Amino acid sequence: MENVFRSPGFDFSNELRNNFMTEKGLPLPKATSTGTTIVGCLFKDGIVLGADTRATEGPIVADKNCEKIHYITESIRCCGAGTAADTEFTTALISSNMELHGLQTGRKPRVVTAMTMLKQMLFRYQGQVGAALVLGGVDSTGPHLFTIHPHGSTDKLPYVTMGSGSLAAMAVFESGWKANMEREDALNLVKAAISAGIFNDLGSGSNVDACIITEHSTEMLRNVEMPNERVQKERDYKFRRGTTAWKKEDVRKLIVEEQVTILGPGDEMDIS
Amino acid sequence: MEPSLRIVPANNAKNASLRDTANSLGLHDTLQYGPRSLAAELKSDGSLKERLQNWEATQDNAKLTLQRNIYGMHAPMRLMMERRIVASNPHITDMPHSNIHLDILMGRDETIDPTDIFLGMESGPSLDIHKEMEKKFRV
Repeated sequence: MENVFRSPGFDFSNELRNNFMTEKGLPLPKATSTGTTIVGCLFKDGIVLGADTRATEGPIVADKNCEKIHYITESIRCCGAGTAADTEFTTALISSNMELHGLQTGRKPRVVTAMTMLKQMLFRYQGQVGAALVLGGVDSTGPHLFTIHPHGSTDKLPYVTMGSGSLAAMAVFESGWKANMEREDALNLVKAAISAGIFNDLGSGSNVDACIITEHSTEMLRNVEMPNERVQKERDYKFRRGTTAWKKEDVRKLIVEEQVTILGPGDEMDIS
Repeated sequence: MEPSLRIVPANNAKNASLRDTANSLGLHDTLQYGPRSLAAELKSDGSLKERLQNWEATQDNAKLTLQRNIYGMHAPMRLMMERRIVASNPHITDMPHSNIHLDILMGRDETIDPTDIFLGMESGPSLDIHKEMEKKFRV
């Protein structure tokens, strides 16, 4: 009987060796993680998503200005915390699937579709795909905001935070969020929440990214606030012209002799 | 598979067999696949691997069982018959596997999985066609 099902696509031939090594005490290498503060907030006209921009590899900052707000569709974006590779790959995969689904249905894609695809995929991998996501967007039924945890559970809330800086950001949200805020108030609240995460959590840092999604437009505000710009160095380490004198100048022409020969009627396309 | 409404694969006893790495003499082919220990494979913790490999089959089984309970035995039988007709393809050699009719029947013609992206990267085109065909027809 032919097998109509496909293999999961991953090669498990090293599993035996890896299990043996972890038993003997050799841990797996650390993946680049987005320590992170990511937030999402519902306001009068739509959704504001916010994220910091630091990617860490253990105790070291791997990327000082990474992008954590990923594209799903034109009006749906997803912030990702957890293992950086997992969030990027998962969001890219779901973005492709959403595009195919949208072409098949012929309708504007919905946020619940993306949420269902993400939660079903993460549940299948039993939490091994370390992606904690904040999914937000506006579709034909209105604005929606979801969180998706690595094991596949989801929540639908008006304001959410995820990542290591989520407690600091949630403190700001809990004291400042009101229903039906204006765009400026919502953006300031999100910037304050991310800044709280940046300054009070070691896993988050650098700049603030924001994304404002409304029914008619999506605005990606990359580095909307840069509270951690490096100060300019006090001394200049370049040598000015004339610091050393030069003794001899020799310019050598690489082309010694040039002769052009035209072959045949030319290279033009034959349009007769 | 016996009819069941399970959505998630069960954690039942795993089986390791020599069949997938056997050479023409019937034993494990160490030259091609490297050393192998069935005892170690049975004892090891392979829960994620089993879960992923049985995922599609388990979900499909649940759907077919529901259809059997609602419409009668003929419904899943017809679907499985169509799949078998379409999947038995003696002409296609082993690389590349692409059966779009089967994809449409299984409902995966409009989705992209990690399988589509990663499968086949480990080994290039095999140079020994005789061995491939032998393997295929012996199974």
